[in-house]
Amino acid sequence: MESTEANEEKTGSVSAAQRRAEIRRKKLLMNSEDRMNRIVGFAKNEPENNGASRRAAEPRFHLELDRTELWSSPSSSPRPSPFLPEASVLSGHSRSATPERRGSPLPDCSELPPSLLEDSLRQRPRGERASDDVGGSPHRGFKKYLSRFDDAMKLRGQLANEKPSQDGGSDSEDFDPFRIFRLIGSILLAVFVRVFVCKYLSIFAPFLTLELAYMGLSKYFPKVEKKTKTTVLTAALLLSGIPAEVINRSMDTYRRMGDVFADLCVYFFTFILSHEILLLIGSETP
Amino acid sequence: MAAGYAWFLVLGSVFLCNLMKTLLPSISSFLSKMVQKDAEQESEMRAEIQEMKKEQSSISMMDEFARYARLERKINKMTDKLKTHVKSRTAQQAKMKWVVNIVFYILQAALMISLIWKYYSDPVTVVPSRWIAPVERLVAFPTGVAGGVGITCWLVVCNKVVTLGLHAVS
Repeated sequence: MESTEANEEKTGSVSAAQRRAEIRRKKLLMNSEDRMNRIVGFAKNEPENNGASRRAAEPRFHLELDRTELWSSPSSSPRPSPFLPEASVLSGHSRSATPERRGSPLPDCSELPPSLLEDSLRQRPRGERASDDVGGSPHRGFKKYLSRFDDAMKLRGQLANEKPSQDGGSDSEDFDPFRIFRLIGSILLAVFVRVFVCKYLSIFAPFLTLELAYMGLSKYFPKVEKKTKTTVLTAALLLSGIPAEVINRSMDTYRRMGDVFADLCVYFFTFILSHEILLLIGSETP
Repeated sequence: MAAGYAWFLVLGSVFLCNLMKTLLPSISSFLSKMVQKDAEQESEMRAEIQEMKKEQSSISMMDEFARYARLERKINKMTDKLKTHVKSRTAQQAKMKWVVNIVFYILQAALMISLIWKYYSDPVTVVPSRWIAPVERLVAFPTGVAGGVGITCWLVVCNKVVTLGLHAVS
């Protein structure tokens, strides 16, 4: 008799414990939904969240998630951030998953054992999580600042490494085959123009034609990997938030303009030189 | 006759300036070697330290600790002295480099200004103006002579060509 009573009491206590656990779990899940609503911008004093409004909120929530993932991707900065969610110990889930997502009854969370889920939720007081969520944008700003700071440090190191080599040769222009071809072509054209063409038209017309030809010919020459020079200007542009791609393109255009200018200088110099030599020889008078 | 060679004079000046510029580090190091006459003392100190180290390695620290420690202290003292010496020499070299650079740039600026002054109104060379159309005004600046090649244009062209040439050679 006693044993049956004890058994009943035991089952009763087990069921009571289970009930309590269930209530707690529901409460936590409800809390997570509340938090979710707070994140997506629903105030508590709004009329009780009906299904429609909740549904309307869902896409925004996903957008927020995506953005968070973008900013907290580990590739952007290897530095372990103090803002990283501690519940990232839940292995198998990416760091970028927010606690809300983990706490919410979303499909990817169903894989976790409920005890682990509850533990993970229990570990974090409500206030902490709320502060994490609210501090999303300072977190981003901080990460952005850190990544820029890292960039600046890298550039500083690069500049320090490059400085001695630049001191050795102030103009570190490397002569690739196309460059040599261009210069030789300009010299030959200048001599040719001085001897045959310049009586009839301006000397710059053949030069422009030659440059057009170079533009067409450039694709038949092997592309030389040009080491991008890190100057103070590029560092400043990068730190001021201009994308590296834009800076690279501008530097490329600048380099091409420099090449054309060098061609023009060589062409004009050779032309004047040959003109003076011809005058000296006395074969021709202008 | 002299006016006919103005282009060559400018070219020669630019070439010399660029050549000097490439030789500046060796010139400054040569000058600092000339100024510093205690380089021998430094090499003596180095040799002495080497000898003491060799001697120290032949001594057993356990058996002759006092001698070992004395030698160690001597080596440390000598090394500190050498370090101070090297530091002062490096500072002096840097100073010399700075002075040589400053002097060079002042001389270069003076040369360029005098050339521009001299050929401000005379073109360095003259070609028929139709040859350099439509930029004959730009090329002739500041002379204003139709078909003339102005000093500024010629300086820029010479500088670029000489830089390229020297870079190709070096």
